Amino acid sequence: VTTISRLARGGRFAAPRRVSGELVFAVAISALGGYVLATTGDIYQPPGSTVVGPRVFPYVVGALLLVLGVVLVVQVLRGRTGAPDDAEDLDADAPTSWLTIGALIAALLVHVNLIVPAGWPVAAAVLFAATAFILGARTIVRTLLISVGLALLLQVLFAHVLGLGLPPGPLLEGVTWFRG
Amino acid sequence: VDSLSLLLDGLATAAQPEYLLFALLGVFVGTAVGVLPGIGPAMTLALLLPLTYQLDPAAALIVFAGIYYGGMYGGSTTSILLNTPGESASVVTALEGNRMAKAGRASAALATAALGSFVAGTLATVALTFVAPTAADLAVRLGAPDYVALMVLSFIAVGALLGSSAIRGLASLALGLFIGLVGLDGLSAQSRFTFDQPVLTDGIDVTLVAVGLFAVGEAFYVGSRLRRGTPHLIPVTTGWRTWLTREELSRSWRPWLRGSAIGFPIGSVPGGGADMATFLSYSTERSLAKGERKRLFGRGAIEGVAGPEAANNAAAAGVLVPLLTLGIPTTATAAMMVAAFQTYNIPPGPQLFDQHADLVWALVASLYIGNLMLLVLNLPLIGLWVRVLKIPRPFLYAGIVTFAALGAFATNFKPADISLLVGLGLLGFFMRRYGYPVAPLVVGTILGPMLEEQLRRALQIDNGKPWTLVGTPFTVTVYALIVVFVGLAAWARRRAARNLPVPPAGEDPADARELTGSR
Repeated sequence: VTTISRLARGGRFAAPRRVSGELVFAVAISALGGYVLATTGDIYQPPGSTVVGPRVFPYVVGALLLVLGVVLVVQVLRGRTGAPDDAEDLDADAPTSWLTIGALIAALLVHVNLIVPAGWPVAAAVLFAATAFILGARTIVRTLLISVGLALLLQVLFAHVLGLGLPPGPLLEGVTWFRG
Repeated sequence: VDSLSLLLDGLATAAQPEYLLFALLGVFVGTAVGVLPGIGPAMTLALLLPLTYQLDPAAALIVFAGIYYGGMYGGSTTSILLNTPGESASVVTALEGNRMAKAGRASAALATAALGSFVAGTLATVALTFVAPTAADLAVRLGAPDYVALMVLSFIAVGALLGSSAIRGLASLALGLFIGLVGLDGLSAQSRFTFDQPVLTDGIDVTLVAVGLFAVGEAFYVGSRLRRGTPHLIPVTTGWRTWLTREELSRSWRPWLRGSAIGFPIGSVPGGGADMATFLSYSTERSLAKGERKRLFGRGAIEGVAGPEAANNAAAAGVLVPLLTLGIPTTATAAMMVAAFQTYNIPPGPQLFDQHADLVWALVASLYIGNLMLLVLNLPLIGLWVRVLKIPRPFLYAGIVTFAALGAFATNFKPADISLLVGLGLLGFFMRRYGYPVAPLVVGTILGPMLEEQLRRALQIDNGKPWTLVGTPFTVTVYALIVVFVGLAAWARRRAARNLPVPPAGEDPADARELTGSR
């Protein structure tokens, strides 16, 4: 069933580039399983502790990962690849833009490092604006206005309605409104 | 008999003006976020969890109940107008409802979904009111081996029975179990798999896992291949006269009732869940339809919207039975409910009805209230929801990412958690790309530590002898059921491959859509 419809959707399943990525993912799962099995012995068992210590369950999980990973590697090598997720906003024929993913990660990491020095509202406005621009927002002024407005709105909503004080940062510290 | 008076107490709590406002907030926000394309009920709950962090437990659970039902309603709107099932339980709604919408009957599809959800939601909540206390009484008598068996059952159901590839589902589940291992072992206080990172010492919060996999993973995945230009949306005629014709109403009410009857019991079995209920309701309606109407299936049959939507909501209430009485989440959405309970140190389970009776009944009461609010809110506000659907995609995904980061930060106020979120988002991205379902991972993360605790307790009964695990008639029954389920699923998959138009449980929705379209 899947084969026919996938061919109908443009034969995506034959692309060798995808298979190799999928193979890496399956190998990674088996490797994680192997790692868990290999290092579980290092978990300290308190002496005199009961029969079933903190090592039993990790062994089970490690074995599960290893076995499933190996089965997946075999499946992928035999050409039984997974069907990628569908989503309405997804252009099925577009090539993956790794640049976009890298830029999104960078935006999130900038956000992480801005929260403490600049305050949550500033960091959030930067994150929203950056993400919107990365994903193709073209109205510069509108995007910036929405970013700042949303960040301030969330700050006030959380501080006053939901009782959660996000750090306002040096810029807005003086405004009692922004404090929880 | 007792439950009625307890329910009245709960209603008295939930009907306080302040709590009514919280219920309204939950219902409204839940629907608004649930309507957003690409956001299913589980992701709605994950994203909105921080809203409740500082509320008192009753208010938080009331908001959450509203979000739970609101997210369901919102999801069906999206499926009908955009043909994007937010989760596999909405696949059939998308199948028939979207075709109705294309044929100009969008408002009828939305109306039958909303009314059916209300009817089923109310009936199922009534059933929950009476079944849950009894189930809790029984659950108190279960021992550790019985719990292990029940959890294995929900593992098999979530991981292997749903979805197109059992191996991929189980692998996703195993990854979740591993993530659940990270941190301090609850019984011996030894740290495991923390890689000496301070961020990992307390383990990885389930909220973080859910938000990372659902929200950030989706944003990465869609963002990497975003469709440019405005999304295509089916116009909806507003005005109540066009909602349901007399004929459509008479074709709808029986499926609503049948859907409720199918949905609640299936939802309440550990291992059932909403997906199976909707698919079963769909195939029931299809086989009951006669003549001309049978041929409408796959082309926009109103019965195929009314039944599954009712079943979906009834199952959503049914899922609360194992959740509240056993503490076992059987869907990703239910896993998020458990996460919500855990933030208040109220572990759901058999003791819940004894120790927190007031909270539980306030929650149940607010399910009735929320359901009513949704009915009043939804149909008149359909114009607003349609506008929500049109939100430009860069803003939509920017909002999702921002809210996800907020959720990750607000959990512990540690910026480092957001870095962890990015890692989990990447994992979610690759899983989507290579066809691994993400829901089993989330369920595995939350159920893993519970399973380990019960497993170790069970094994201690007889000095580590494994046969204690099958030592009671209850466990034997459950393991026998698992064998039956696995057999049935294999049979259903084979049968589904032969009779194409019935979408096999969890099959890639796009496949089902295309095949029915080509017939």
